[in-house]
Amino acid sequence: MSGKSDALPQVSVDGGRERTRNTLVSTVPFIAVFAIALAVPFLTNDYWVLIATRTAIYWLLVGALNLVVGFAGQLAIGYVAILTLGAYVTTILAAGNVLPPVPPFVALGIAGVAGSVFGVIIGLPALRLRTFYFAITTFGFATIVTQVALAWQSVTGGGIGLPGPEFPAPFNSRLGFYYFCLACAALCTWMTANVAHSRFGRALIAIRDAEVAAEAAGISKARLLITVFIFTGAAAAVAGGLFASLQTYITPDAFTFDLSILFFISILIGGRGSILGPMLGTIILTLLPEIASPLATWSTFLYACLLLAVVLAVPGGIAALLDFKNRKPLLSNRAIVPRASAITEVLQSVQTRETLILRELVLSFGGVRAVDGVDLEVLPGEIHGLIGPNGSGKTTILNVISGYYRPEAGSVRLGDNALEQRSTVVRAASGIARTFQTPRIVGEATVLQNVLIGGTIRGRANFIETLLSLARHRQDEDMAHAEGLLALHAVGLRELADVRADRLQHSELRFMEIARALMGRPSILLLDEPAAGLSADEIKRLGQLVKAISRCGTAILVVEHHADLIFDICDRVTVLNLGQVLAKGTPTEIRVHKEVVSAYLGG
Amino acid sequence: MIASILASGLAVGAVYALIGVTYNTMFSASRVISFTAGMLGMLGGVFGSLFILRLGLPIVVGFALTMACCAVVGVITEFIAVRPVLKSLDQHLYVLSTLALSIMIQQLTATEWSTEPQRFPRLLDVGAGILDEKFWLPIVACGVVMGALEFLYRHTLVGKAFLAIAEDNFAARALGLPERNLRIASYALAGMIGAFAGFAGGELLLAFVANGSLLNFYGFVPVALGGLGNHRGAVVAGLALGIYQQAANFIVGGIFASVAVFALFIVLLLAVPQGLFGAPTVRRV
Amino acid sequence: MGDEWVEQDLGRMKMKITRRKFTVGAAAASSVPLFGLAKPAIAQSEPIRIGWLAAMTGASSAPAIGFDRGVQYAAAAINAAGGVKGRKIEILTRDTQGDPTKAVNATQEMISQLKVHAIWGPTNSGESLAVTPIMARSNMPNIHPCVVTSLIDTKKYPNAFRTAPSLGQWDDAVRGYCLNVLKTKKVAVIGDTTGFGSAAANFSVDAFKKDGAEVVYAANIDYNQPDMMPDMLRAKNAGAEAIVVWSTSTGMDARLFNTRAAMKWDVPFVGHPSMSSGDVANLIEKRENWNKVYVIGYRSCSFDAAGKLPPRSQEFVDNIKDKVKLSDSLLWWVAGGVDAVNLIAKAIEATGTSSSEDIIKYWNSLTKYPGYFGNYTFSPDQHNGYPTEEVVMSEASSAKDGAFSLAPGYKA
Repeated sequence: MSGKSDALPQVSVDGGRERTRNTLVSTVPFIAVFAIALAVPFLTNDYWVLIATRTAIYWLLVGALNLVVGFAGQLAIGYVAILTLGAYVTTILAAGNVLPPVPPFVALGIAGVAGSVFGVIIGLPALRLRTFYFAITTFGFATIVTQVALAWQSVTGGGIGLPGPEFPAPFNSRLGFYYFCLACAALCTWMTANVAHSRFGRALIAIRDAEVAAEAAGISKARLLITVFIFTGAAAAVAGGLFASLQTYITPDAFTFDLSILFFISILIGGRGSILGPMLGTIILTLLPEIASPLATWSTFLYACLLLAVVLAVPGGIAALLDFKNRKPLLSNRAIVPRASAITEVLQSVQTRETLILRELVLSFGGVRAVDGVDLEVLPGEIHGLIGPNGSGKTTILNVISGYYRPEAGSVRLGDNALEQRSTVVRAASGIARTFQTPRIVGEATVLQNVLIGGTIRGRANFIETLLSLARHRQDEDMAHAEGLLALHAVGLRELADVRADRLQHSELRFMEIARALMGRPSILLLDEPAAGLSADEIKRLGQLVKAISRCGTAILVVEHHADLIFDICDRVTVLNLGQVLAKGTPTEIRVHKEVVSAYLGG
Repeated sequence: MIASILASGLAVGAVYALIGVTYNTMFSASRVISFTAGMLGMLGGVFGSLFILRLGLPIVVGFALTMACCAVVGVITEFIAVRPVLKSLDQHLYVLSTLALSIMIQQLTATEWSTEPQRFPRLLDVGAGILDEKFWLPIVACGVVMGALEFLYRHTLVGKAFLAIAEDNFAARALGLPERNLRIASYALAGMIGAFAGFAGGELLLAFVANGSLLNFYGFVPVALGGLGNHRGAVVAGLALGIYQQAANFIVGGIFASVAVFALFIVLLLAVPQGLFGAPTVRRV
Repeated sequence: MGDEWVEQDLGRMKMKITRRKFTVGAAAASSVPLFGLAKPAIAQSEPIRIGWLAAMTGASSAPAIGFDRGVQYAAAAINAAGGVKGRKIEILTRDTQGDPTKAVNATQEMISQLKVHAIWGPTNSGESLAVTPIMARSNMPNIHPCVVTSLIDTKKYPNAFRTAPSLGQWDDAVRGYCLNVLKTKKVAVIGDTTGFGSAAANFSVDAFKKDGAEVVYAANIDYNQPDMMPDMLRAKNAGAEAIVVWSTSTGMDARLFNTRAAMKWDVPFVGHPSMSSGDVANLIEKRENWNKVYVIGYRSCSFDAAGKLPPRSQEFVDNIKDKVKLSDSLLWWVAGGVDAVNLIAKAIEATGTSSSEDIIKYWNSLTKYPGYFGNYTFSPDQHNGYPTEEVVMSEASSAKDGAFSLAPGYKA
């Protein structure tokens, strides 16, 4: 590790080439699957074309649902509700029961819109409820939709049902319809892959696995989820319309809960955070009952067994089994070597230089005053240490600054502007970034992806541009990747960029969190016990890193127990005890302060 | 009419309440909400019918065997679907593992037993009309279970140990309480409560495999509304739910009744996510 | 599937068929490999493949299980007698579980992969509605017993034939009994929430109104609903003099009967044959609860005042008695299954080929074809083959070997 100079490697070029190669390699399985799919009609008979059409339709829904379940981690079990809705809307409009008949493609489009709306309605509880509760409410929705279909006889035909829509030539033949569904499925695959490899995809998995950190990075769970629900609802409804056409006749009893289970389990067997995995999962689960008739009766039992097996033995699903990259062993004697000079390159444009000002902050938990009238100031470019015994309120203060807690009294200001109370998400936009007492990371994602999460709000492309992989999206990604690699280079983790984060050592995770924070180009950086668990060597390097960051103009507030580190790097130190400021001053002054020594430092 | 609504409402509500208690018991021991609670209720009815009607065993023996079998199912749940995922509770893997197990139980029962509702034996042959035993048996069962649980928690060491691990897992372990064994015992207990619910409600709901998902949902509503881990809240909410459902059945008829219940549930839950009697959870950051 | 319980004794056909599990078929199930690369076969000795879309598990499995017994029996009997012009019959069963999706998959499999010559089934209207257009596309000869009216359309589906009465014929019998024999003016109509139940209930309500009767209460009940009291109370309060029930769920039926007994109300139930299924006996609390229940029946499966079945039916029952269990099913289901196989076999025998056009042409030419269930008549414009005059009303609790006595007041 030593012989390497501090010179900046041609990060963007290497990184870019490597990225292109990775992208090409990862498309190969998809191309293979779709090539086989295209050839099915010529290799087999109408029966398998039917099954393949059905698989394509299911994958259209599951691929989009993957964003909700696999990426966002919202366990929407009752999604057959939207399939039902889409099927009925398309059918009713095309048949002309209520309004004059609408051309089938238009009906399909309208069904998509209806699906979006309903997708949001079904999904809204996710914003308020815990996981299991949300799962149960989706189950409730599935039942409601079926019951309404049954009861509203004048429109839906009730139990008798309605003939499904027939699309105009050439899509009304077996072959034509099959290729149409295949095209829809391919389009959906491409779109969701675009989302997966974008800031939206990373933000989704951040919400899933590191919600607190996601908020600190400025990711608004509500906005993101609603956007995704709109997309997924539309796709599911279109799948419903195609389903109705395939069935040629729909009745409420065709939309069984077993279908919902199939969709849901396909994603989990495939592996969260993957596109290929759930696609293979859907194919397998749809084909399984057709391979042997005993399997047909036991199919749902089998799906459940597979799910259990995945949860217990292979939580990553098929995707984990196919993840050959992460089987390679890592070097065991790795050292983290930050490059302080690279920090300037990373933070070259710290937007504003702000002073962080806390005045008379008060916050209680239950009857206990955790923070009792605290004044604190951190100037731009200053490293300010915050120390004190456990329970003195240090982390609480950080959490107030981050916006997780709302103070009872007092104010938090950036320069002249008061920070909006109780809203974590806007903090990142104001230029505040932080690390956490226990690293909050996405274990299943790579180190680079974790770091990129920190830069989410700096992306320009909106969701639609991402879906369609338009220019701004690609620019965003190129820039983000280059910056991310640079940040990793700066903290000394460049070689581990493509490694799954849960394979890293604890100390490496701490540095990774710092790289993530840097991606936000923060003007205020909050570090919560960054040295905990680090070796003496690593603490020294951490110190150099923090000093380099401060030299770029960022105001840094460090909560720490390692007194040596504090006295080494801090410009000023504030000491807390029982929620109140015990002493303030330079490290030299604090070190000999009588009360500080007796309460905390020891003789 | 009103009498009829009250009778069937309280009866079915008592079954829902007991399933809610089953959920709560499993939750208290492990912080896991398990999809198998409703299945245990279903198995209570199915096993009862199997042992007493099909195999011809005496009622008391059939009852004991049913309780024993469901206790075993409860323990199996702990072994297979709960213990392995305890370390990743925030990953919500338990939702998936218990869902998978409950589907397996349901499918197995459907294929081996029957997909149609089967008869449940007449237990005591007491009462007729509104006062028929199928209406008051579940209510009595509910009372018995609540009484037994109170006694357990207040006057026995095991019960207090259960409370301890529910209250503060780490502290209890630090005190030397055998956490694993207590958890297994809790799951066995939950199995028996579920079985009791299904058995007592058997004459009302019949031995029917579809009861599993029905009870999963309707048994969870009292938990959601009464507060997670709160037995008394579950009973009150369960009885109220039963009456509301039967009233809706009576006034609007079958199809809309379930819509009414779901809609109300979702609305209430969104308004008060922690339940009507639960405490709002503060997020730990 | 199922244990060994098909014992084939080539000299004397001995087959025990139990209720819960279903057989794979007298001959082997599909031996056609995965991608349809069929072995070349000489047409003369190629087996006759009959596809059977059976809802053997699921909500309305009772009829399918009954039909299946007949199907297996008939195939075995024909094969034991040497087959059809030397060709053996092969029954290829697919359990659709009452799910239209599975039915669609299975139908296409039968058409394109298994290459069957004809299809019997499905047994559920919901499934039939979905698969009928698919079969029509390939002109696959199809016989089914599903009652929904729109299933039979000689223009749209020239390949589809119905061997059971249509909903209209059923409803006529039920309505006729209520109005003319029971002489009721106010009826309640209850259907379950399945496709069939809703269709039948609607149809019934309209027909009653057209005939000038008053429908005082109409409801669709989820067949899972444990307590029938609310609906029964409402019907009683509205003054219903008879309750018409259209449901395939024997559990729901039994609960209705038990509730009626609990209310000490002696209103007659009239309607769907499932109310007479042997299943019901297991589910009702007291045998008396089954009184005053009158269901659709068939002349061929009804015994007269002396307790005797029509001669041909008696002969049939005597033949199958130790081979097929009747006590927990219905004779007309078994007979229907037998007739279906025989109709297909006869068509192939008469035309000497197994092409679709020839089979269909043959069926179109049938006049009063003597089946065990009914005497069928088809023509190019009429594919509802069951004669209305053979639909009767039976006394539900009078089952003996799956056949029934005529309902009281019913003219023989």
